[in-house]
Amino acid sequence: MAADLASILYQFGTNAAFLLLSALGLIVILGMMNLINLAHGEFMMLGAYAASASVRVGVPFPLAIVVAFLATFVFGVVLERLVIRRFYGRELGALVTTWGISLILAQGTLLLFGPYMAPIPIPLGAVAAGTYSFSVYWLVLIAVSVLLVVGLAFLYRATPFGLQARATMQNPAMARSLGIRVGRIYMLTFGLGAGLAGLSGALLAPTTSIAPFMGQQFVAPAFITVVVGGGANVIAGAVGSSTILSLIETPVSLALGTFYGTMALLLMALLIIRVLPAGISSLGARLRPAVAR
Amino acid sequence: MTESVMPPGDPATAAPSDTTPSAGTASSGPTRRTLMQGAALAAAGTVLARPAIVRAAEANPVKIGFIEDQSGNLSIYGIQKLHAARLAVQEINDGLTLAGGPVGTGVLGTMGMYAAKPPVVTSGPGAKLNVIDNGGTPDKSAIVEADTQEILIPSGEKGLLGRPVDLLSADGQSNNTLWQQLARRMIQQDKVDVLVAGFASAEREAIRPIVDQRKQLYFYTNQYEGGVADEYTFCTGAVCEQQVIPVMQYMVEKFGPKVFTIAANYNFGQLTAAWVRAFAPVLKAKVIGEEFPPLEVSEFSSVIAKVQAAKPDWVMTLLVGQNQSNYYPQAAAAGLHLPMASTVNMAQGYEHKRFTPPSLANMHNAVNYMQEIPTKRNQDFVARFYKMFPNDPYLGQMAQNTYFSIHLYAKAARLIGTTEQEKVRKTLEAGWTIEAPEGSVFLEPATHHASHFIRLAEANAKHEISFVREWPMIEAWWLQRLGVNLVRHPEHKQYTPQEDPFFKMFT
Amino acid sequence: MMRALRLLNGPHDLGHGAIFWSGMAVLAAAFLAYPAIASAFTATNTAYYLLNIPMALGLSLLWGYGGVLSFGQIAFFGIAGYAYGIVAGNLQDVAWGTPIAVVAALVAAGITAAVFGYFVFFGRVAAWIVPILTLVLALLLSTFLGLTAGYEWAVGQVQLGGYNGMTGIPALQVGGLTFQDYPFYYLVVGVTAVAYLALRVWVNAHRGQVLLAVREDALRTELLGYDVRLEQLRAFVIAAVLAGVSGVLYVQWGNYITPSSMGLQQAALPVIWVAVGGRDSLLAVVISTFLLNQLSYALSSAGNQSALVIIGALLVAVMMFAPDGIVVGIARARWWRRRARARAAEGAHGD
Repeated sequence: MAADLASILYQFGTNAAFLLLSALGLIVILGMMNLINLAHGEFMMLGAYAASASVRVGVPFPLAIVVAFLATFVFGVVLERLVIRRFYGRELGALVTTWGISLILAQGTLLLFGPYMAPIPIPLGAVAAGTYSFSVYWLVLIAVSVLLVVGLAFLYRATPFGLQARATMQNPAMARSLGIRVGRIYMLTFGLGAGLAGLSGALLAPTTSIAPFMGQQFVAPAFITVVVGGGANVIAGAVGSSTILSLIETPVSLALGTFYGTMALLLMALLIIRVLPAGISSLGARLRPAVAR
Repeated sequence: MTESVMPPGDPATAAPSDTTPSAGTASSGPTRRTLMQGAALAAAGTVLARPAIVRAAEANPVKIGFIEDQSGNLSIYGIQKLHAARLAVQEINDGLTLAGGPVGTGVLGTMGMYAAKPPVVTSGPGAKLNVIDNGGTPDKSAIVEADTQEILIPSGEKGLLGRPVDLLSADGQSNNTLWQQLARRMIQQDKVDVLVAGFASAEREAIRPIVDQRKQLYFYTNQYEGGVADEYTFCTGAVCEQQVIPVMQYMVEKFGPKVFTIAANYNFGQLTAAWVRAFAPVLKAKVIGEEFPPLEVSEFSSVIAKVQAAKPDWVMTLLVGQNQSNYYPQAAAAGLHLPMASTVNMAQGYEHKRFTPPSLANMHNAVNYMQEIPTKRNQDFVARFYKMFPNDPYLGQMAQNTYFSIHLYAKAARLIGTTEQEKVRKTLEAGWTIEAPEGSVFLEPATHHASHFIRLAEANAKHEISFVREWPMIEAWWLQRLGVNLVRHPEHKQYTPQEDPFFKMFT
Repeated sequence: MMRALRLLNGPHDLGHGAIFWSGMAVLAAAFLAYPAIASAFTATNTAYYLLNIPMALGLSLLWGYGGVLSFGQIAFFGIAGYAYGIVAGNLQDVAWGTPIAVVAALVAAGITAAVFGYFVFFGRVAAWIVPILTLVLALLLSTFLGLTAGYEWAVGQVQLGGYNGMTGIPALQVGGLTFQDYPFYYLVVGVTAVAYLALRVWVNAHRGQVLLAVREDALRTELLGYDVRLEQLRAFVIAAVLAGVSGVLYVQWGNYITPSSMGLQQAALPVIWVAVGGRDSLLAVVISTFLLNQLSYALSSAGNQSALVIIGALLVAVMMFAPDGIVVGIARARWWRRRARARAAEGAHGD
């Protein structure tokens, strides 16, 4: 019985961690910058590629994750300077542009590196509990995803950069007049979002096959998580929505099968948005006037 | 010559054809090579008789239309197939062909009546191929097909019927609408002589109405769920009855009766799972659970937990596509080390090469081809392939099917002396056996499906492949059972197990 | 009649006056004469480039004129395609079976849009969430239809077919005329032309102007006594029915539809056609949809593995250097230059 409970908790945790990790970079780019980034999945793919390449030349996996973060961060910064900065305030232009970027990245990767990349072995083995056994790496991922979100919240709430970033996103003109270097803040924020996407791509890389079109699998979960979470407090919203969505998905999947689990998740997302158009975090905002943007 | 080799209309009687000089020599201790040379000579005779037409024909290559996904999600399979097709076309243009001929009987050994150098059934030290028994020790006393024959032989001419062969290849981009557009272009505008195309069943179903409407000779070379009975379509890949039953039988004998099926939630997965269910009682297996994850799902913790809770003896995994192959590393990491069986993995998407061991340890698949097959004819084929494409990652089942299908087409067209599609189609309905890299393949006339040399591939903890059991010739018998005979009763549909009363008894 | 003509020449699209309309007439004549030089295959292929235009026009109305972006027009395309297949397949022996199926398909698309749109617009969902919601609708439908492989998933005698799709959808038949090859080409040309002209009248008529007002300032429009939600819903339903028109034409063309016609990749295409052309001009959308469909086919049929990279680069370049859309950009640039020249001439004269 305890084992059954542990198994249900483990499934719930992996479902929620998967949603949260998929959404991590998008929390910053969509949630904070209000930029609809359809190349999000491809940023994750780049992170996985960077990690795989590093592991292949002998870099230990934890360090490879750092490499993946730095590589996609730099990539994000360059992309922001060259292309993205023209699209602030033009959400729909950004949407089309990032779609184009995603096509270039995915197919370009296929042409340059071939149809797949060397896989990364899943580290750390498994632990047994009764009839079940659990992947230690997934348990670590659950913890890491929570830590990353806490870290992100800390960065935005308690550091000067966070303060400047929030000010810039709320009112760029005002922020500029206060002496904040708005362009730099935008650049670093976009780079951070890209870097976080690459980071979670690298973290999830051992659990998936590393291939040019792997990013597609993360796009829908990521957008649903962030949109359902809402904009009032994106970080808390994303945590809330990944929790609620996996609370729905896990038991339905267990009882009726994975297909109905997925359908339940999608329907639940539609329902939440209908009831709470501003997302789950608007609940919190009603109780407590928090500023998170 | 073109008209007299095989009177159109009734190929069944025309096939043994005692009206032609080449078949005449065939009945008096012939070799297939002389038969082919005879056909080539006769073709040459035609060449001399009608020089003007031939000159026009030389400028006008034989066109093989070829559509596969070279970009997008399915390109991992499409590029293999394209390269194998290029190899086959180059060999045809270099004057080579695979051994084989019409009027095979479909039974090992007896096809030698007509074959040039028939496969020799042998046992003991003459057998070069080691058959490995269940325990993994080589057992040389087993009966095997001797592996001394050179299958790539001269065809007697460079190209086909005095014309060069062109491979017109287009990229379907894993997009069904584009597939339809490209098929139309190939058929109506390029007027290809034969169409070789299709990975996913959805792609085949997208273009089959167009093929039927224009009476286009069409080869579908993929392994699939079975059931296509189409006058114009030849399915040269393996189907459920050739793969599911052998692999289940082996798994039940070796690991026990309790099976848990995980199948992709779409046509292929559901239909193959229906086969598993229907044949479980016959093979003394017991399906204790089934799970159908959608194609979009890439995170499998609840599926894994269900399998763990059900405690099966082995797992049948019928997972398809990039997302779903994630199941294997995730299951291995979660400590799920049950024996696995499949009909799709390893042979197509070379998961054993792409994933880190031991994700696919203890995986079993009844395949008609994998590049690891240790026969000489296959090793030669693999060497030829990698000589042409040194950077390719793998040479899989569908690529081999494409390769021998194109050779088979060329042989049939050469024999009948024309690329006129209806005549080639009727010629292909003459019971051809072709010596493919996998072994002898027999194209069954009535159902347009092929019998295959099936081997049970097993991956060990290091992902090394060994072939632990062999079935030298398994027929694609299910459409025959349903009474399909495309020679006598042309039709254009896909049967599903629901139409077979046998399946209704169990599902 | 005169009123309709005046509206047709109204200000809310590119191209006015006698020269423009004579050009259009020449173009129309060219399209009508085209089959004389084209094979049945090329005519059908050209019809394919045209048949997506109604869907793109609908999105242009909704997004460019109404300011509401839908990422899920493809859902209504698919609903209409499937509905046509189901009804036409079941009414195969009925004399007017296929025309009835066309009506049923468009009604199905319209009703779905009305119900879904009611939730979205009357729920006053934030504007940037609408594209995501509509995308979820499309994914939900394609996921669901992908499941329907078994025999139990049949409506009447028509199998839904699951992921492999619905095959053997009958072509439209009116009397003794079956719309295939050349007749199908003329059908598509006719429908496209009617859709364009009718929408042009609509955007210049009262309702269209109200829609523009909503885009410019929803609050002010509301204070003028218009129900913004209703106006948006109306545009949404019109756009959905137009997407349905494209869906019905598409299943005529291929006699086939699959759930992947509603997948993520397909969902983005209408948005791309509209954005590249210029979303606030119907004419621009017509041109870009036609040309982009042709481009993507030309690239892939040449066996070019870089097709997706080229299309992606094109999108990025267009959005960076012609943010209002490439066709609109070119048209406005010329118009602006001419006016500048005229003004300069006037200035010189004044001196």
